[in-house]
Amino acid sequence: MFSAIKDLLKYDKRFTFGFSVMTLMIFLAILSFFSPYDPKVWNVVPRDMPPSLKHLLGTTSMGQDVFWLATYAIRNSLLLSVIAVIISRVIAILLGLITGYKGGFLDRFLMTINDSFVILPLLPILILIASVIKGALNINNLGILLGIFGWAWDARVLRSQILSLREREFTYTAKLSGMKTLSIIIKEYLPFIIPLIMATAMNNMLWVIGMEVTLAILGLSSLEIPTLGTMIHWSVNSQSLLLGIWWWILTPVFICILLFISLYMLSVSISEFLDPRTRLQRIEVMKG
Amino acid sequence: MLFFKSYLLPRIIQYIVVILIGTTVVFVVPRLMPTDPVQKTLELVALQGTYIDPEAVEKLRETLKELYGLKGTLFEQYIAFWKRLFKGDFGPSFAQFPTPVMDLIRISLPWTTVLLLLTTTLSWVIGNILGGLAGYFSNQRWARVLEGVAMVIRPVPYYIVALGLLIIFAFAFPIFPVGGGLSVGRELHLTLDLLLDIVRHAFLPALSLVLVGSSVWFMTMRLLVSNIVREDYVLYAQVGGISDREIVFRYTIRNALLPQITGLALSLGQIFSGALITEQVFAYPGLGTLLYNSVSRGDYNLLMGITLLSIIGIATGVLIIDLIYPLFDPRIRYR
Amino acid sequence: MKQFLKVLFVSLIVCSFILGSIPIAFTQVAPQIPREETLIVDILGGRIINPKRFNPWVIGVSAGTDSGIQQLMLEPLWMVEYAKGRILNVLAKEPPIYNKDFTQMTVKLRSGIYWSDGVEFTADDVIFTVETLKNNPGMSYNTEFNMYVDKMEKPDKYTVVFHLKQPNSRFHSYFLDRWGACRFMPKHIFEKVKDPKTFDFYPPISLGPYVLKDVDPAGYWRLWERRKDWNRTTTGKLFGMPKPKYVLYIYYGPPEKKVMAQVRHELDMCDLTTETLRAMLQQNPYGRSYRKEFPWVVNIDPCITGIVLNTLKFPFNIRDVRWALTLSIDIVETIGIAFDGAATMGALLIPPTPVYHRWYYRPMESWLKNFTLDIQVDGKPFKPFDPSAPYRLAEYCKKRGYPVPPENKIKEIFGYGWWKYAPDVAEKLLERQGFKRGPDGKWLLPDGKPWKITIMTGTNPATPGYRNAFAVSQQWRKFGIDVEVQTSDLAGTIIQRGDYEAGTTWPAQEPWGGHPDLYRTFVAWRSKYVKPLGEMAIGGPGFVSRWSDKRLDAIIDEMEKTAFDDPNLIKLGIEGLKIATAEMPSIPTFGYPGVVGWDEYYWTNYPGGENPYQQPYHHWPNFKFMLPFLKPTGRK
Repeated sequence: MFSAIKDLLKYDKRFTFGFSVMTLMIFLAILSFFSPYDPKVWNVVPRDMPPSLKHLLGTTSMGQDVFWLATYAIRNSLLLSVIAVIISRVIAILLGLITGYKGGFLDRFLMTINDSFVILPLLPILILIASVIKGALNINNLGILLGIFGWAWDARVLRSQILSLREREFTYTAKLSGMKTLSIIIKEYLPFIIPLIMATAMNNMLWVIGMEVTLAILGLSSLEIPTLGTMIHWSVNSQSLLLGIWWWILTPVFICILLFISLYMLSVSISEFLDPRTRLQRIEVMKG
Repeated sequence: MLFFKSYLLPRIIQYIVVILIGTTVVFVVPRLMPTDPVQKTLELVALQGTYIDPEAVEKLRETLKELYGLKGTLFEQYIAFWKRLFKGDFGPSFAQFPTPVMDLIRISLPWTTVLLLLTTTLSWVIGNILGGLAGYFSNQRWARVLEGVAMVIRPVPYYIVALGLLIIFAFAFPIFPVGGGLSVGRELHLTLDLLLDIVRHAFLPALSLVLVGSSVWFMTMRLLVSNIVREDYVLYAQVGGISDREIVFRYTIRNALLPQITGLALSLGQIFSGALITEQVFAYPGLGTLLYNSVSRGDYNLLMGITLLSIIGIATGVLIIDLIYPLFDPRIRYR
Repeated sequence: MKQFLKVLFVSLIVCSFILGSIPIAFTQVAPQIPREETLIVDILGGRIINPKRFNPWVIGVSAGTDSGIQQLMLEPLWMVEYAKGRILNVLAKEPPIYNKDFTQMTVKLRSGIYWSDGVEFTADDVIFTVETLKNNPGMSYNTEFNMYVDKMEKPDKYTVVFHLKQPNSRFHSYFLDRWGACRFMPKHIFEKVKDPKTFDFYPPISLGPYVLKDVDPAGYWRLWERRKDWNRTTTGKLFGMPKPKYVLYIYYGPPEKKVMAQVRHELDMCDLTTETLRAMLQQNPYGRSYRKEFPWVVNIDPCITGIVLNTLKFPFNIRDVRWALTLSIDIVETIGIAFDGAATMGALLIPPTPVYHRWYYRPMESWLKNFTLDIQVDGKPFKPFDPSAPYRLAEYCKKRGYPVPPENKIKEIFGYGWWKYAPDVAEKLLERQGFKRGPDGKWLLPDGKPWKITIMTGTNPATPGYRNAFAVSQQWRKFGIDVEVQTSDLAGTIIQRGDYEAGTTWPAQEPWGGHPDLYRTFVAWRSKYVKPLGEMAIGGPGFVSRWSDKRLDAIIDEMEKTAFDDPNLIKLGIEGLKIATAEMPSIPTFGYPGVVGWDEYYWTNYPGGENPYQQPYHHWPNFKFMLPFLKPTGRK
């Protein structure tokens, strides 16, 4: 594991970039535990101050320090998206693999459930649920909620990939040589679908962050918990764009961009690393 | 015939079952929530400053329940709903009582359909072509620039993209209208003028959707293609002297398209729930605001009307995809 | 490949220029409709979902009522005028005439008022409207008219006599327009209609000074044109010719969009938020608000904002707790957070506007100053009222760099005072009820559990309710209570269901606005209308506090027997307010700070703070009475 990371850091610039940005983000998230300000309390610093040595990223119209607020936002948004992504990935991968490989009645039954989730209009249902669980819509619950609603599409994508793999030669070869279903899936299919899983996981993470932003902009999440979404909500509603308080709105937007790029770089280089075909090439490069 | 019995028929039954489940969920969920259309009506009356006599409230509540068809148990209402639906009637909207839901949908549907059909397809085509090219020629400079641009646009929250475009093109350089779907006083006769006017109003909303949409497709496609490029047959093709152009379009992009087509089908199906944020930011007409209002207003019938449209849209998209899969990937067989 | 991208890029730019350049100049609103003859105003309610419906007589249905129907098309009998604090006779020639036991009301109509299709408006229209509403369940005022109206008669063309089933000294309030009233339908049109509920009334005819010219099929605007016979409408008769030839009601989207439109001079009057107003004033040299200088906002809106408490729920059923919550709020900081200092504080549960200052705040000032809570501080009974609060607020504004109004204006603009910021007294009040502070300094309930309050509010950040919720949560958190604000589209329903602790609808039902009678406010606290928790409250503001008091019941009964024009009403109002203040069922904070943005590029002489000849909003039905006073600037 560590040697793999070392190799990647050494030979893959994208990995180096993604890895260091991610480390920075996690560092910032941890830093939030040492914040001098309570993110729920307003008017702790002068309002609308541009970035300075005292306030690295300036202050908000509510008298909060943007830098320290951002550390909380990164922590909460990461936590939220990790919860949601893990839940939805587990369901999507399991379902995609089972339905794609098994076929028949089980496939039809599970795909019926899957499709019912696909067709449900998400936003109205989220709005309704959000209004019922009231105060309980904290980071964990929102993560679980988005996880439960975020897998259906990707399960279908994975299934279609498996459907196609199933008909390839190596499946027959593997079957004929007496491999068990599970080991066929793990040994033969997984390397092929890992890039896809990576891509969908990355997209899902972004979807979660984006959904959180949407919910926050509509005022439907817990607005006093700092996340990237609620930061954008408050800065948009305080008209930071029109009033030229750019440091406030650009901070969460830049964090979104950085997060995405690092995730993207990581996922590309990891899936290449796992791909058996490129591994050979890489070994040659290392030798040479 | 075997195909029909062993694949098509079960698939169509599944299609119907999915729609039934979806409809039932949308019917039941709002009625279990604290939304109450009668209550909302009374709140609106009170908020608007009109004085309701306290003595009259209980009676008023009963009258409204009766009018809205909300008397009886959940099950009775459910049966009544299906009975009405088979007659092709969604019932009256509560928020706009007694205007039929169908009339309200009819006003907004064309705007949503045209805008979203166009932008969804356009972003898909642009994103996939550019993404395919950038994936194949991943070492070229323009490919990297494109990738960089897409990488930056993709994660920016849509709201910010939309607002940014507005500030640039409607405020700093006031080229485009600030909002709306149509100029004031424009007659609805089919003329070039009217068409231009509609395009002018739709331009910024469309641009924002295409920008964000195509960068999403771009990123996925680029990833898929760069994976396929390493497949043996591409290498053979290159060695065999087939032109890059042909390899890109005939072998790589085509093979990477399968998951992309699934995605397209789903997003095309989803257009019927509208694009809420687009509509809000640009003040562009469409089903999104209608749907959002119906949720917060507790307008069950309108909510049902729009979601049923969306449910059928998505389910049909998925069905069609399942049926035409083999055309794109002959390796898949019906079982 | 590069070639392809270049072509794509260039063609995109060319396209956008061609599209963008078509009608670059905005000298015309539409063909044949010059901009300088048009007043463009914002639709408060947003997009009109059903653009071709002009029938506002179905209950709870807004057919885009605030996009011209109530402002330009329909007229009431009487109208509340809260800027000057009076009631205008509109279609009625004079105030209602009741008999002694309030079972009969006579209305005298103005003569010479015509519908826009040339038919005269007479008593027939009034009687027909009331009959129609009475006979069709689901139409507005149907239940009320069935409860009260026995029969009507018409001694002559311009007189209607209502015979009531039971005494009602405020029956005329159904015809008193206060952002809503029973307005009249044309008999000659509606009598031919089979179902008045499904009838769209399109194209509509009007009784007001303007008539519909065009509507947006997508629902974003409605265009109205001045009637040629404007002098045959009440507006014309009372105030003269409305100056704009056209009025365009249009919705541009969220507040930032309104700013963009206003800077482009494509919007004359609109509703903004504090922040968007700031942006608009920065960017638009012709922009102004209600006041030309700080604090900009409308201070005559007849609404009091604040925090409602669920007084049937523990611990809000305890008076000491409610007072402790009040005394732990620093009103200056609250207004600072919520509106950056630009609001009028109100210590009573009625709006702190100039007219209510005159009717109640000033007469009650000495009572307020001497009012005591039954708790001793330094051996003396504690007087919670703080007359210095407005001066502290002025100090805060000075610190923020705003020009502060002159000394003699401070009371009018910032209010007469509020409750002391006295966390120490609040502490004593809570301790007296068995509350304790935990080891972390957070408050614990008497049973030792942590005290947690959730404040319910809506999702619209522009509303004072929303801002109050967050501002007050800051105060209580500082005091050591675990507070959470919860935003929900269903806040109103949840609050009315009683499933809440604190919330931000109006803390009391709004009074009439233009009249000193407080019956409308007090009746929400009548004991027979208080529902137990779990049952829907009867109404919204006021009712949802679920608070009542025997002494207040007596005052309400007395009011019912007192005529609307009886000067004793103020005395009864003061007595009632004393009870409500001492019990503090909900906490008032400040008057509704209406933030309006006006563009003076094409029109001037808006009813601003320097000359409040009229209520200032474009969405209030009185808007039509403002139009004769506007002045065109002559700019093209």
